[in-house]
Amino acid sequence: MSLVSRPSAAASWYLPGILAGMWFTLKKMIYNILHPKKMPTLNYPEEKYEYGPRFKGNHVLTVKKDGSIRCTACMLCATNCPAQCIKITAAEADDPSVEKYPISYEIDVLRCVYCGFCEEACPVDAIRMGPEWQTAGLNGSKFTYDIQQLAYRPQLKGGIVSVLDDQDRHHAGI
Amino acid sequence: MPKIKINGKEIEVAAGTTVIQAYKQAGIDICHYCWHPGLSVAGVCRLCMVQIEGMPKLQIACNTEVKDGMVVNNTSDLVKDTVKWGLDFHLINHPLDCPICDQAGECGLQDQYMQFGAYDPEMAEPKVKKAKVVDLGPTVVLDSERCILCSRCVRFTEEVSKTNELGIFNRGDHSEIGVVPGKPLDNNYTLNTVDICPVGALTSKDFRFRQRVWYLKEADSICPGCSTGCSVKVHYNEEGLWRVKPRLNPEVNGYWMCDVGRSTYKYVNLKARLISGKVGKRDSWNEVSPEDAARSAGLRLREAVEKHGADSVALVVTGQYSNEEYQSLFKFFTGDLKSKNVFHWQNHPDTVEEFDGLLLRGDRNPNTKGLQAEMKTAGVQARWENLQTGLSGKKFKVVLVAGPEDQSVFPDLKEKIQMLSGAESLIWMTACGNADLDNAGGETWQIPLKTYIEKSGSFTNFKGLVQPFKTGTTIVPQALTLSEATELLAGRDIDWNLRPKGLGGAKVNYATGQRGTL
Repeated sequence: MSLVSRPSAAASWYLPGILAGMWFTLKKMIYNILHPKKMPTLNYPEEKYEYGPRFKGNHVLTVKKDGSIRCTACMLCATNCPAQCIKITAAEADDPSVEKYPISYEIDVLRCVYCGFCEEACPVDAIRMGPEWQTAGLNGSKFTYDIQQLAYRPQLKGGIVSVLDDQDRHHAGI
Repeated sequence: MPKIKINGKEIEVAAGTTVIQAYKQAGIDICHYCWHPGLSVAGVCRLCMVQIEGMPKLQIACNTEVKDGMVVNNTSDLVKDTVKWGLDFHLINHPLDCPICDQAGECGLQDQYMQFGAYDPEMAEPKVKKAKVVDLGPTVVLDSERCILCSRCVRFTEEVSKTNELGIFNRGDHSEIGVVPGKPLDNNYTLNTVDICPVGALTSKDFRFRQRVWYLKEADSICPGCSTGCSVKVHYNEEGLWRVKPRLNPEVNGYWMCDVGRSTYKYVNLKARLISGKVGKRDSWNEVSPEDAARSAGLRLREAVEKHGADSVALVVTGQYSNEEYQSLFKFFTGDLKSKNVFHWQNHPDTVEEFDGLLLRGDRNPNTKGLQAEMKTAGVQARWENLQTGLSGKKFKVVLVAGPEDQSVFPDLKEKIQMLSGAESLIWMTACGNADLDNAGGETWQIPLKTYIEKSGSFTNFKGLVQPFKTGTTIVPQALTLSEATELLAGRDIDWNLRPKGLGGAKVNYATGQRGTL
């Protein structure tokens, strides 16, 4: 049985506590004004935090060495996606060594929960979750990312090359 | 009847049964590729190994007949080891293509590897590269690398379609399935080779890369492509129908079906369908709900009967609807309206008796026999010439048409529409839209109907076998079945609580556990 301890009469006289708190705030403010470099907070949005490369942020579709899309449209990411936000349309490529590729790859980021299951399911390192994390936008912004956005957006500087290349795999006899 | 013991289970099988058939009969798993119940025994895959008591070595179950008192098992360590390394040999040159392979999800190789193989490969040599995306003909694409040379497709063209297009070329590691130059795989049964291919070596051009198979659900149905009435499975999902595959029915089609029947999913999908009712004529169409179209058409029909008598209306029926629908239609037309002007629209009267020797018949309607029987029961014997004279003599004020569901098998559709729109009012019930009908000059009602996969009923096939089928999925929920349309035409109401919901929602991964069984 737990007993409720009632506040004592002295504790209900709260003005000293307020003054102590105000004094602490004032002390910190003066310290920060004198030492602005040591301040732990950032002046967002002018300053932005750089997360590490393993951070699960915005999706990136990787490319092959020739710059074409790495994805083979196997739909394993779409199958694995718990939010059902990936929509792929496959098509037949002219090159028989490529055979199948996506003509449309769309991620509805408003549905995406950034779980990273797509990255885990991908057998060819075609989709990764990158360090970018700002997805906010105004009404009417494009929240459905297409291939152009996912693979060739300016931040990626021409695309990220997949570590699993088909040519290498063929040489290795896989 | 020999009695044998399989894995400790005693069963009695017919004389002449092979051991693998006994296994299937007993419902016990056995690894195999090349054996197919509808084809001859080849014995090339060497995976259905069994240990038979009294025999010094392992035997293949597909080519060993049962004898009375035989004791067989495939669970001993020796058998398991043999099967495992047999699978290893099959997979030596098999590429890891599963992400882009259409067969993934219903692949015998995937399933049997998980069940019987599951080893670490010990092959140091690189894989032999062969041709990919080889065009075998208008319907089938070959990937030689994936082929495990079970020869099922070769035996199919030899034994079932008897066209002999496919063969195995070269020797050893370099053996390949192929066709002779200038003789493509082009017959009406080519897609069966895709069905029986245990791997993804043969893929259908029509289905290639459209969907992953685990996104598809199955529904049993009857093929409406011709009067044979093959038992089929329809594969569909939230986006519509994607393919039609045969279902075993020893009485009608066995394991096979024709390529013509496989295209019957196309007109079911939304793109081809009539979505809402249309009332009016050329250039002035009024889009109304199907039930409103049917009700106003019913008013016109009954008004004509009241004013000009029962002989002023005519009914034109095609052999594309179920027996139940014919019954309710004739009950209304010959019973309620008391008209005897019922005409059977036979789309190609000259080729009705044709037969290609295997499955496809010249009569490209699923239920001509059923229609004839129902017409006989209703006591109507109108001749087609009477319709023509009645139309040109302006005798028929209103013509009610239960039009074709599959318009591609009606070569005379345009002429017939022109002829029938000569009547004062034309009530056309059909599943699919038609440009010629949209250009009809007279007052016309278009009432959207459901297709074979969206309703329950039965078809009577060419030999009088009545085959029931059930609702699989619903593509156009607002469309009516012919029975429902008849009720509304008659001025009665239908139970709106029983209306099904349509497509929609996200595609989900449906377990395809039974798909991969060889």
